[in-house]
Amino acid sequence: MDKPETENEASATALGNQLLSGSLTDATLLKATEQTPDFAILPWVNVVKIGGQSIMDRGRSAVYPLVQEIVDNLPRHKMILGTGAGTRARHIYSLAIDLGLPTGVLTVLGTAVAWQNAQMLHYLLAQYGIPFIEPEGFGTLPHYLMERNAVVCQGMPPYKLWEHNPASGRIPPQRTDCGCFLMAEVFAARKMIYVKDEDGLHTSDPKKDSSSRHIPRISVEELLAMDLDDLIVERAVLDFMTRARNIHEIQFVNGLKPGQLTAALEGEPVGTIIYKNGTAR
Amino acid sequence: MSNHNSESQHVQSSLMRESLMDKGLISRTDGPVCSILPDVNVIQIGGRSIMDRGRSALLPLLEEIVGNQSSHRMIIGVGAGVRSRHIFSVGLDLGLPTGALAVLSAKDAAQNAYMVSCLLAQHGFVYLEAPFVVQLLPAMLAAARGAVFNGIPPYALWEHPPALGKLPPHGSDAGTYLIGEVFGARSVIYLKDVDGLYTADPHIDPNAEFIREICAHELIEKNLSTLPVEPAVLHLLTRAKLMKEVRIVNGLVPGNLTRALAGEPIGTVIRR
Repeated sequence: MDKPETENEASATALGNQLLSGSLTDATLLKATEQTPDFAILPWVNVVKIGGQSIMDRGRSAVYPLVQEIVDNLPRHKMILGTGAGTRARHIYSLAIDLGLPTGVLTVLGTAVAWQNAQMLHYLLAQYGIPFIEPEGFGTLPHYLMERNAVVCQGMPPYKLWEHNPASGRIPPQRTDCGCFLMAEVFAARKMIYVKDEDGLHTSDPKKDSSSRHIPRISVEELLAMDLDDLIVERAVLDFMTRARNIHEIQFVNGLKPGQLTAALEGEPVGTIIYKNGTAR
Repeated sequence: MSNHNSESQHVQSSLMRESLMDKGLISRTDGPVCSILPDVNVIQIGGRSIMDRGRSALLPLLEEIVGNQSSHRMIIGVGAGVRSRHIFSVGLDLGLPTGALAVLSAKDAAQNAYMVSCLLAQHGFVYLEAPFVVQLLPAMLAAARGAVFNGIPPYALWEHPPALGKLPPHGSDAGTYLIGEVFGARSVIYLKDVDGLYTADPHIDPNAEFIREICAHELIEKNLSTLPVEPAVLHLLTRAKLMKEVRIVNGLVPGNLTRALAGEPIGTVIRR
């Protein structure tokens, strides 16, 4: 056989024929794939990210009320609950960097911390029949969401050693904010809500600057153009958002304030909403 | 925003309480990186370019790999090929998102990698799924003679949204490169069905000029209409810490792999 073996039966579509014979690095072929329809896999699910340092590391005082609020919302809203990593990740990142380990190894280590937080959240929700699922078990996710209305998973994407190097430094660029965003995007979720310890985005750090203003809504393009030194969310989430097909806005709420998560699930504009231009309501 | 929350229970570290999104902090985390497996060569066998051609292309190549076993340690990433093209076409027609296409395509590469591992089994090569690459690769290399892995990275549903279109941007070229980078390997060598990089597709355009050596930035700027490797590899190269070049050679020409392993300037080298 000298030529690559191609499928004998012609593909059903013109694009299909192009895909079988053309180069996958060809821009016109890639452009053609944009015209294909988008099917929403789980259009009723909400992805809720529970912050690591901002919520889980605070222990009972922050986590218990939030768990109660999640339980109260189960009859009305289906949720994928992803967890962040937090202070233990910071410790192991600094140790691993000191030891000269590469970014991919830091991702493996950081994933273990998000996993621990997910386990703890899972223990608190276990009595409501809510399972913890690993990326490999995502095939069962629709079943649990139908039966129990929520699942707990760790927020890190399963990149392990295959994580990209960051543009600068050594810390993995795609962490739990990204992992949760990508779940929401691939399932075409109803909402992507980040639960942290602030009311959302401010013009400067409200804990340091009393003249700081709260920003209720901002476009991702505007936010990227501001080129802030610090952000409420991983930069990669903003980059993904500009290319996303399904998720057009993400919301940040204060998990220390009872009722904010509920309000966000009900579609109220609490906290800060970052939206993609051209798709604003 | 930084989290100077006093109520959190912190672990003492240089990153304690700091925002990991802060540019200043991120740049302070740079520093020397150690090589985990510095003597290992990471070889990629192309899906469409080699595997889909069957025995005539693959068997001489595997013989050459075995012939080099005594002098070079090798792990082999394998690509997907035409079955992935087919499932992309069906999946796109059904409206499936990029992450779902990545899950599906990874199975095609897994099939190809499994076949390669069967053909190399008698020479002591093992097949490792991604979790075993993480946990067992160094041990396996100490005990076994080599390893075969799925070239497509385990991004699955978490695949990045591409800049253009809906196809998964990380295929077996990117996945193979990332393994070379994270382990700080000796080399990354792509075995394809062209002699290397050309200004146009040499199978179509007889005027295509050969490029022997180029840096990733320059190649990105050239914006060529087709490339013999995934564009993601070029972007990854620009951020390389350890694996600062990749080599593309024609795997259909006997002796090319041996020469590449020996460090001879065969094919095309793309540098950081």
